[in-house]
Amino acid sequence: MQKISPEIEEYLESVYRRKEKGETAKTKEIARVLGVSAPSVSQMFAKLARAGFIEYKPYGGAVLTMKGEKIGKSITRKHRLIEKFLAFIGVKRKIHDEACVLEHAVSDDVERAMERLVREKSAKSIMDMKRGECGRVALISAGRAAKRRLVEMGLTDGTRIRIERQPSLIGPIEISVRGSMLAIGRGLAAKVFVKPCV
Amino acid sequence: MKKLNIALAGNANVGKSVIFNYFTRLSQHIGNWPGKTVEKAEGTLIYGNYEIKIIDLPGIYSLQAQSPEETVAREYLREGKPDAIINVVDASVLERNLFLTFQLLKTSVPLIVLLNMADIAKRKGITINRKKLERELGVPVVEGVAIHGKGLENAIQKAIAIKEKGRKTGKPAKLRSAKEIYRKAESVSRKVEVKTSGRMPLDERIDSIALHRIYGYFLLLLVLAAVFYSIFTFGDWLSALFYGFFDWMKIAAEGAFGSEAASGILWNGIVMGIAAGFAVAIPYILPFYIVFSILEDSGYVARMAFLMDGFMHSIGLHGKAFLPLFLGYGCNVPACIGCRIIETERERFQASFLATMVPCAARSIIILGLVGAYLGWHWAAAIYLFNIAVVWILGKATTKFLPGEPTSLIMEMPSYKMPQPKGILKRSFERVKAYITVAFPIIIAMTFLISLMDALGFVKPIEELFSPITVGWLGLPAAVGITLLFGVLRKELALIMLGSIFGTTNFGAFLSPLQMLVFTLVMVFYIPCSATIATLVREFGWKKAAAVTIFEIIFALLLGGIALRLLGLFF
Repeated sequence: MQKISPEIEEYLESVYRRKEKGETAKTKEIARVLGVSAPSVSQMFAKLARAGFIEYKPYGGAVLTMKGEKIGKSITRKHRLIEKFLAFIGVKRKIHDEACVLEHAVSDDVERAMERLVREKSAKSIMDMKRGECGRVALISAGRAAKRRLVEMGLTDGTRIRIERQPSLIGPIEISVRGSMLAIGRGLAAKVFVKPCV
Repeated sequence: MKKLNIALAGNANVGKSVIFNYFTRLSQHIGNWPGKTVEKAEGTLIYGNYEIKIIDLPGIYSLQAQSPEETVAREYLREGKPDAIINVVDASVLERNLFLTFQLLKTSVPLIVLLNMADIAKRKGITINRKKLERELGVPVVEGVAIHGKGLENAIQKAIAIKEKGRKTGKPAKLRSAKEIYRKAESVSRKVEVKTSGRMPLDERIDSIALHRIYGYFLLLLVLAAVFYSIFTFGDWLSALFYGFFDWMKIAAEGAFGSEAASGILWNGIVMGIAAGFAVAIPYILPFYIVFSILEDSGYVARMAFLMDGFMHSIGLHGKAFLPLFLGYGCNVPACIGCRIIETERERFQASFLATMVPCAARSIIILGLVGAYLGWHWAAAIYLFNIAVVWILGKATTKFLPGEPTSLIMEMPSYKMPQPKGILKRSFERVKAYITVAFPIIIAMTFLISLMDALGFVKPIEELFSPITVGWLGLPAAVGITLLFGVLRKELALIMLGSIFGTTNFGAFLSPLQMLVFTLVMVFYIPCSATIATLVREFGWKKAAAVTIFEIIFALLLGGIALRLLGLFF
């Protein structure tokens, strides 16, 4: 993919965000969000349309093409992840602004690594869950053999599980998964992370 | 006669061995907990004009094997080239079971799916549309309830039909990752299953106590106490009955042949051997097997493993290793083989080592028939508890010598099942019959041999050779020396031969209470019996087997001497 300037990415992101909300990207709106003048937005839109990122009718607003949407979506996703990541590493102020700068510099590989870390940390271990609570498997950070065994017993990524019995001080945990009841030792259970069910 | 090979494959605890036993009239170990079958078993069924070889495989969850017992199943499925596989599926956990089914579909062997435990599925509120499942999988699907023998013939007929009319290949969906296969299993089970609840209220109610963080352990103690007490009281009663009978017989024989003949080689050797076998062994073996089978069938054994997980972790093992240890109370041989369900070599060896120290049924005969009968049940109970404490301490110690990362428990919890009285009695009597056919000839031959040796004057020198240990260190009668030697063959033989040497099964006549305790303690920890040693050699090589054997001889003798001196303070 050719290198796209941060400015273009920024425009595509804001158009994509309007689209997410189900609104068309009017020049005036985008100008307000990006803090630039309406004429410069029009000028940029014309340029983006020529490059095939959007379809643009003066006064009608901008609509993303497939190519444009791909970039807008990716940048928006990176932006949100970076916000989460910054919050996670303890950044307290101007998280949005920081993310606006960083989002253009983060490669897909770096994004994946950040995502993994955030997911791992924001997900709960099943040891910390209450009886009757349910979750979807997000990550099993156990050794290969134990992980494979859990997977073949049905704990694949995203599988819904339910806590059937909270562990005692020394005992294992019991969960239900895919209609079966599974006892998992507390040491291993601490390495099984789930996200809340929706 | 045409030949046909059929393999039984499926997840653990779905009823493969029950089906195998039904077809072959053999008696593979069955029970309601995962991991009973660790070796493949073969049997033959004559059906119509077919001679069908049936192969029972250990339970597996996928074709990626990990522990040795799973490797057996995988290797056979890959290389054994069966004509057909009957994939036994637990209908109450269809989705999870289909994971393996889809993998089996990918092998080129014709498949028949047997939906077992339809009754439990019904109790769970699950009904499966067999026809639809057949369409989804593209292979024959048969419904059945294995413990009642329902639907099983049907599966065989389907296998024969495939053999005769060419096979249906099924639909080997192009599934690669575990996630994809499970997604497919999920969508198929959604299509064919009607679930009203998916839960079993009774099971949940029992488990809310049985697995409770506090009450669960109380219940466990209560169950074990009840098990011990029922075996002991029933055994005691039956034993007294047999004793009475043999005493009467002895008096009658003395009346008929004179007391000379009654103390001769034949009498002491053969009659005493049989008498001791009946009066000392059978009374405890029979209730033991009955209670053991009830525990196994109910599903409570898996709960015991669950509760014991923490305890097992403290000795570097995990809850599943409790299962072979539990088996050890029956016999150490299947216990050591059963350790194959443990994932790592280190833990496998450690668990086997500890299993050889669990008092098997033969040693229970000594504990109950000697200590229990003459000193009272509380002393017998104390020996069992002491044994558990020693096993725990040795477990702790071995984790120091055999370092390594402990693995974690992953075990499917079976549904509770009502033990079937008919099946339990049948199995218990089969086990007792097996005991009589295996142990009695040895007991009789050996008691006869020792009477003969005694008559020829060979016994005294051996006794004298061992007397520094037996008399000097352990404070036992010199006659014990030779029985310790023969005890290697079978543990209970040591006690029975003592009776034979002294010409009476009234052990109180020649052993003081203190001597009974010391003798029993030594026998409980002393050298694994010959069958167990052979098993250890097969599983771990002769070096490790020798190490275990030598350690246990020294350990038991040391322990016995110390016990004599400590317990001597109380007696």
